[in-house]
Amino acid sequence: MEEQIDANLRRVYADTVQEEVPERFLKLLDELREKGKAVPDSEADS
Amino acid sequence: MSEITDPRDELIEHLPAMRAFALSLTRNGATADDLVQDALVKAWDNLDKFEPGTNMRAWLFTILRNTYYSLHRKRKREVEDPDGVLASHLSEKPHHDGRLALEDFKTAFAELTDEQREALILVGAEGFSYEEAAATCGCAVGTIKSRVNRARARLAELMHLDDTDDLEMTDATTLAGLSGASTA
Repeated sequence: MEEQIDANLRRVYADTVQEEVPERFLKLLDELREKGKAVPDSEADS
Repeated sequence: MSEITDPRDELIEHLPAMRAFALSLTRNGATADDLVQDALVKAWDNLDKFEPGTNMRAWLFTILRNTYYSLHRKRKREVEDPDGVLASHLSEKPHHDGRLALEDFKTAFAELTDEQREALILVGAEGFSYEEAAATCGCAVGTIKSRVNRARARLAELMHLDDTDDLEMTDATTLAGLSGASTA
């Protein structure tokens, strides 16, 4: 019974994991990266 | 030292799992992706606190679930309407070959408590050790074990897998009422 449950669980989970990552997240990561470049922490500005 | 990989580059590899974990928490695609977005920004801003060499997925999941619970507390019941999963009914009986209908499984899974869902996903689907899952959820190892056990038992009950036939009712609300009484 436990095996049946876990097998289904993994199947449902795998279906979601295999979905392609939506564009918005790739964009978000790009934006975060750009933001990081624009503000190089403490050493910029005085 | 050879090239040290920037944890920022590693983030993207965990995105699919973050989405899957978020979906299992929120049970709603749109809410899940909003949650991932919030968690991603938080993770990015706190990446200096991540210890390289440790389990990044577990670290991200911790952020994700903390984000979920703080949002959840704020929104209370508003997010409690998943993609119609709760409204749909379980089919009457398991297939005779013992296979579970996937949709029924999803419906039953959505009926578990937040804690049960996350424990079961981490241990049963992600393959986290009980220790890793406990660390991710900020609770004791024994707590994770009992949540996983209760989640499996509840699913079995909802899926009519508990080879007794006295749970012949098909009305999901009746089942929900029953379970409320049995969790004490």
